[in-house]
Amino acid sequence: MALYVYAITGEDHPHRLDGLTGVGSHPSPVRTVAAGPLCAVVSEISEEIRPKRRDLQVHQEVLESLMADAVVLPLQFGYFASDDQTVQQALEENADSYIATLARLDGCAEYHVRATQADEDELLRQILQDSPEARDLNDQIRAGAQDPQLPLTLGELVAREVQERQDSLAAELVQALVPYGREHVTHPPSSPDFLNLSLLVPHDRTEDFLAAEAGLAQQIESGVDFRLTGPLPPYSFVQ
Amino acid sequence: MTMVPQSGSSVSRGGGGTGGSSLYDVLELILDRGLVIDIFIRISVVGIELIKIDARIVVASVDTYLRFAEACNRLDLEAGRKAPAQLPEVVGTMMEGGAKGKAKGALSGAVDTVTESLSGKSAKQEEPEEEEPEAEPEEEAAPRKRRPARRPARRERE
Repeated sequence: MALYVYAITGEDHPHRLDGLTGVGSHPSPVRTVAAGPLCAVVSEISEEIRPKRRDLQVHQEVLESLMADAVVLPLQFGYFASDDQTVQQALEENADSYIATLARLDGCAEYHVRATQADEDELLRQILQDSPEARDLNDQIRAGAQDPQLPLTLGELVAREVQERQDSLAAELVQALVPYGREHVTHPPSSPDFLNLSLLVPHDRTEDFLAAEAGLAQQIESGVDFRLTGPLPPYSFVQ
Repeated sequence: MTMVPQSGSSVSRGGGGTGGSSLYDVLELILDRGLVIDIFIRISVVGIELIKIDARIVVASVDTYLRFAEACNRLDLEAGRKAPAQLPEVVGTMMEGGAKGKAKGALSGAVDTVTESLSGKSAKQEEPEEEEPEAEPEEEAAPRKRRPARRPARRERE
């Protein structure tokens, strides 16, 4: 029977798994496979599993349940091993590295922050206000100028401004939040987001971090949506 | 049901279709990050990846330019007079607040805001139901837009 693998933990993790069931259309109980100082958290699956959205959710829930008690290394969604021996082999092969990562992440959780330009108008207004060139082009077009080059020139100018402003806002948001994390990582944002930031926040800094994040979210008004998710298993900090 | 250190579960299974709406934002983390172990096998996540959205489109295209120009042309320049917050100011205030230790009111406000954001409310997050990963055959067959090559992640340690 194949084993879906959720996480790696230390052997001293309490593993309160009672009542937890795993992924798949016929979910099996979640259990552990031990190898020396490490454990893997697994559940049995049939190999023909076709993942569904609820499986993502189960994966996430098992990890959240585990992380509430002690540090975990979350696996990426969708990995399985053919049997217990393969899992043990994986744990043994990289034991030192897993132990070191567990120690590095101990006492922390991941918080994920995204920013989106929810309302563009306010930003465009600002750009027209700040750029005489853009304003002039806009006025010409509104006055009925027919030159097809005008909208292109205006659009290019505005697009550049939008990108620059979003990039610099993103950079400043990162700068403002990074002091609250032990580590951080930024990824290329998916449209329409312009910020994709993960922070590894120690538990004793969580309150300060949340207060800071909420303060930023409240004060940045010009059509920017600020989204925070967490606490999460430290997906972004295990590789 | 799920116990997490603070603020409640970031992803809740909920009773029906709305539960786990914030899964949308976590999706990228669950699917693309996390530990990968070479000797394990990955189940096909083809259907699931359909949920992901295209990477941020680089704004250098004629279409984008024309769209921005049009948006400017029809903008009511008099409408939005409230000056948006200047970020340097925002950051300054925030740092100051952080240094002095949090005021009570600000803190409980923060928790409210976060709880709200955790419960998920954007319209965009409501839609994944029809994007259920076990995609219809024709959906899987449909040519998918190529995502632009990703820039490598930047990671820094303090």
